[in-house]
Amino acid sequence: MHEQVKNILNQVRGEPPNILQSLLALQGELGHVSADMVPVIAKSLGVTTAEVAGVLSYYPDLRPSAPGRHVIRVCMGESCYANGCGRVLRELQERLRADIHETMPGGRFTLDTMSCAGNCAVSPTVIIDDDLYGRVLPSQLDGMLERYR
Amino acid sequence: MVTRLYLSNDTSARAAGAAALAEAWSDRADVQLIRTSSRGAFYLEPMVERDGPDGRIAWFNVSPQDLPAILSGTGGTAVHTIPFLAQQVRYTFANFGETEPLSLDEYQARGGLSGLEAAFRLTPDAIIEELRVSQLRGRGGAAFPVWNKWKVAQQAKGAQKYVVANSDEGDAGTYCDRMILEGDSFRLLEGMLICARAIGAGRGYVYCRQEYPAASATLRAAIHKADEAELLELNGEPFPIEVIEGAGSYVCGEETALLESLEGKRGVVRARPPYPAQSGLYGCPTIVSNVLTFATIPQILSRGGSWHASLGTEQSRGTIVLQLGGRVKHPGLVEVPFGLSLHQVLEQFGGGMAPGSRFKAVQVGGPLGSLFPTTGLELPICYDAFAKAGAVLGHGGIVVYDHETDMVDLARHFMAFTADESCGKCTPCRIGSVRGREILERIQAGSGTMDDLRLLDDLGETMKLASLCALGGRAPYPVLTAIEHFPAEFRSKLRA
Ligand SMILES: Cc1cc2nc3c(=O)[nH]c(=O)nc-3n(C[C@H](O)[C@H](O)[C@H](O)COP(=O)(O)O)c2cc1C
Ligand code: SF4
Ligand code: FES
Repeated sequence: MHEQVKNILNQVRGEPPNILQSLLALQGELGHVSADMVPVIAKSLGVTTAEVAGVLSYYPDLRPSAPGRHVIRVCMGESCYANGCGRVLRELQERLRADIHETMPGGRFTLDTMSCAGNCAVSPTVIIDDDLYGRVLPSQLDGMLERYR
Repeated sequence: MVTRLYLSNDTSARAAGAAALAEAWSDRADVQLIRTSSRGAFYLEPMVERDGPDGRIAWFNVSPQDLPAILSGTGGTAVHTIPFLAQQVRYTFANFGETEPLSLDEYQARGGLSGLEAAFRLTPDAIIEELRVSQLRGRGGAAFPVWNKWKVAQQAKGAQKYVVANSDEGDAGTYCDRMILEGDSFRLLEGMLICARAIGAGRGYVYCRQEYPAASATLRAAIHKADEAELLELNGEPFPIEVIEGAGSYVCGEETALLESLEGKRGVVRARPPYPAQSGLYGCPTIVSNVLTFATIPQILSRGGSWHASLGTEQSRGTIVLQLGGRVKHPGLVEVPFGLSLHQVLEQFGGGMAPGSRFKAVQVGGPLGSLFPTTGLELPICYDAFAKAGAVLGHGGIVVYDHETDMVDLARHFMAFTADESCGKCTPCRIGSVRGREILERIQAGSGTMDDLRLLDDLGETMKLASLCALGGRAPYPVLTAIEHFPAEFRSKLRA
């Protein structure tokens, strides 16, 4: 793991080192950034472990553990709220038997929320991996989930 | 015969069905699809257009099987007769729906780059003077006079100066920055270059929210094109512009937290002064401005500051870009001069309520914005009237809630949001938002008391007065206006 982390960090190295962009690059390659990578990252960037751990815990998008095979994000922003995202979220929680930030048994989906995808005029919004769905009705969820195995 | 059809490639248009249309028609030899930006009339998307004798003709809410009708020219509507669009006054959004986002030729053919050319003919002082005359105020939320900030940055000393476009667009219910990045990125770049020339900056950054992958990809492509066309140069020196993505934190839209985040640190708010214009990125003078602000600037230079000042109202010059969402019938983007009432906007453009919905409240200005009931709709949309009412226009988001909305749950939703997003730097916000959420959860669960409502009020006043930034300072407004306008709903949930 150490070598891989160092190699990825070498590709994004800047002066002064940018901790957040380094962590995002790592997550882009590895899917997550776990706490046990922190010392290697700190050493490689020439910053303290406290600085790295501080940034890692601050940003909602940085994942400390590997997500499921697919990540579902339900927008909880106000336009989506007004258009029934609460029901969409509840139905997903039931179907996936996973709560927010949890991965369903078997690891097929991780369920997450987000605060606005800028798709407010075509809301409510659900994003699965890189696919954005708008005007989502609870009745469409089964068909949507089918596409991701 | 090959027919040229125009179809938007905007994220929301794609989500509404444009992506499916493009796929369904991809192997049609008789169709040439031009992927444009979106007009922002999202209730009509996916919208397909073709050239007519008198401008474009459009078909609304198109599905793949509508193609024969479109090709034979039956049933379309002339775009210039669509009331939602015809009643708007579009300057910053004039290109939307017309051009291909990455065509620099089309951008130029429609007046693009003439603002920059005008700026090259002016001294930095004269550029700033033009902005003073225009009375342009920042569109990111704080509505600070743009020229003033530029003057400070121009006069500040620094080994380097930076121009940073704030594209964090964190207010839920807003999407105009996303549309600009996806649909007319060159306009943002032009505005940033004008700013760089005025203040003497050598580098630019765009801080883009992670939730906007298509926007940052399009912007990167536009930067590449602009670079190839040798546009990213000032005084014979390169002026590189880089896109940096955020990581899901709302408070990183606040300018000082944004700078911390750009430097790769925790996005915690810095105490001001010094202001970023004096000491910003890496301690250097930095202009942080909203994407829409930058995109408004090219036309101020090409048409003149007094042209801009001739639009709008006394304290609010120019146009406002509103973004309608929630339960309105016609969600979409509306650019109009300041001064229309909320009621006019909701009726004339919003088209009233979505089918089956009755109006309950409207929220203006994002998650920190106040709620208005039916009786508050005569308020004119301009900075001074909103300030007088204790409200904000924020980034122009307007979300309509219908009769099914549970106001207690909505208030809880707002406080939970603040508790999640607080950067933790100051106590009123860090602790207050958690207490506020707990109280509202208690009321929602049926175990709250009259004392809890009083406590919420006290807490709100403390947060308003003592918070370091507008996240804590504004967070009480949606909650307290919900209680003010819908008291019975809160009382009915209290423990007897
Ligand atoms: C909590 C918080 C979030 C903010 N989010 C944004 C944002 O997403 N986009 C933005 O342009 N300004 C945002 N602002 C306002 C910025 O601090 C700053 O005033 C603005 O970027 C300046 O640009 P302007 O002068 O063009 O308005 C936010 C402010 C606060 C307090
Ligand atoms: S008000 Fe909240 S977000 Fe703003 S500085 Fe204080 S703790 Fe941070
Ligand atoms: S509020 Fe959900 S996409 Fe904007």
